[in-house]
Amino acid sequence: MGKSNSYKAKVGLFVVIGTVLLIAILYFVGMRQHIFSSNIQLYSIFENVNGLQTGNNVRYSGIDVGTVSKIEMIDERNIRIQLMVEDKISRFIKKDAITFIGSDGLVGSMVVNIVPGNEQNTTSVSSGDTIQSYSKVGTDDMLSTLSTTNENAALLTEDLLKITQKILQGKGTLGTLLSDTLLARDIRQSLIALKNATQSTSTLVTRVNAIIEQVNYNESTAAVLLSDTISASQMKAVFFNLEKSSKGINSVTQNLEEYLTEIKSGKGTFNHFTQDEALSKNIDSTMVNIKEAAEKLNANMEALKHNFLFRRYFKKQERQQKREAD
Amino acid sequence: MAKSTSIKTRSESFFTEIGDMALFSGRFFKEVFSQPFEFKELLRQSYNIGNRSLLLVGVTGFILGLVFTLQSRPTLMEFGAESWMPSMVGISIVREIGPVIIALICAGRIGSGIGAELGSMRVTEQIDAMEVSGNNPFKYLVVTRILATTLMLPLLIIMGDVIALFGSAIIENLKGHVSYMLYFNQVFDALSFSDIIPATVKSVFFGFAIGLVGCYKGYNCSKGTVGVGEASNSAVVYTSMLLFVIDFIAVFVTDIFFEI
Repeated sequence: MGKSNSYKAKVGLFVVIGTVLLIAILYFVGMRQHIFSSNIQLYSIFENVNGLQTGNNVRYSGIDVGTVSKIEMIDERNIRIQLMVEDKISRFIKKDAITFIGSDGLVGSMVVNIVPGNEQNTTSVSSGDTIQSYSKVGTDDMLSTLSTTNENAALLTEDLLKITQKILQGKGTLGTLLSDTLLARDIRQSLIALKNATQSTSTLVTRVNAIIEQVNYNESTAAVLLSDTISASQMKAVFFNLEKSSKGINSVTQNLEEYLTEIKSGKGTFNHFTQDEALSKNIDSTMVNIKEAAEKLNANMEALKHNFLFRRYFKKQERQQKREAD
Repeated sequence: MAKSTSIKTRSESFFTEIGDMALFSGRFFKEVFSQPFEFKELLRQSYNIGNRSLLLVGVTGFILGLVFTLQSRPTLMEFGAESWMPSMVGISIVREIGPVIIALICAGRIGSGIGAELGSMRVTEQIDAMEVSGNNPFKYLVVTRILATTLMLPLLIIMGDVIALFGSAIIENLKGHVSYMLYFNQVFDALSFSDIIPATVKSVFFGFAIGLVGCYKGYNCSKGTVGVGEASNSAVVYTSMLLFVIDFIAVFVTDIFFEI
């Protein structure tokens, strides 16, 4: 009898411990899933729930406040999810709060996140309210974009490969630049020349700077040219006149050109003078005759000097010249 | 020809044994609800099966938790997922490893014990003597043992799971500097009713299978003392096989109802 009671106590203890452990585990798990706490139901509508399942956590500002209790299609596009949220937390969730579906880490399960909306709205949610949702870019969408990017990258790589091959073969400007040693040498020499030119320019600029610094802005011509506004206006007038003169010269030149054209074409007296050989000969003979006549006239004049009628006049003239010379 | 005859004979005996076992379990369900109820014997068997197995189950569960965490840590560290250790260990132990390992250990200890005990009683004609004296040996010996294993094994498995989780928590605390509170918070976060309830229901079937096979093999023991050893040995082998079959069915059914 005593032994039987001992068995009873030991078995009873064993059963109690086992049962308590089972109940404790169920209680803690239930607590985590907000089964034993007072809850309210909130709803949110999404077009894509990205693999969300019933039992997934609901978080408000990063704190677990409930679980997803129901997921149902309400029409062709929209899915309504029912959220069981702790009643004691519900007063912090305002009616303009926003829900979005996220992932618990990179490899974690999906969670529904509730974030506060506009702070000015102070009305808290109540059971049965629908919270507006925000659909983030899903993994499928990201993969789709990535796929397009990959295709583009493949095309780019292909083109780049062709370009590289052409460059390596020495085709095209870039290929020539890279493969032609003569061109490289020329370029190097050009660069050296450019470098020298740059150095010379630098030296020149330095000198010019020095000259400019040495310019006396009050007295020198360059300074007057650079700084005197009156001289500038005068110069402007000079340039204006010069321009005017050049226009006049231009018109004269044009006239002369026309005149020369006329001459060349055989019109006018001058052309007659230049082109007519007979006239030229006549003029030559006339000139010879004039020369002879002049020589004879000189002889006559000399004879006149010695004539008694004119001798007095010539002597008077010599005296006058002598006086002027003194 | 001889080979085909041997296969035929073996398959016949296999199906005959399954049929006998089904009848045996049918008789159990018939006897279990009929009076008189052997409470004292049930209590004694529960003590033998439950209390006396607790040390073995506890040590095994503790080492299981330690080893499982130590082995998994390096791999999870490679992925930078050490923080997932409590969740992973918790779900693995509660859902699958704990029930199966503890049931196999109990199959070895309890199944073989029942097989040997009832086998020796059969060989020494104690069961026949009980029948002759007007007692119901099936009710007294078989029903109490099967009931005891069916009731005690789920409790043993729950205790074993908790001890295994403590073992794992110790390693996490020592190696990963994870506090015990954080560890168990993460374990309970990861667990759900769909992990605990199917595992508990499964462990009831495990207990029933261990008791049933052990009792069947011992109750139908023959061939003298050699048969006792054979009954003990085959009870462990058959039970182990049956445990995996039940586990497979349980996972399959759980998948249908709970969408794991």
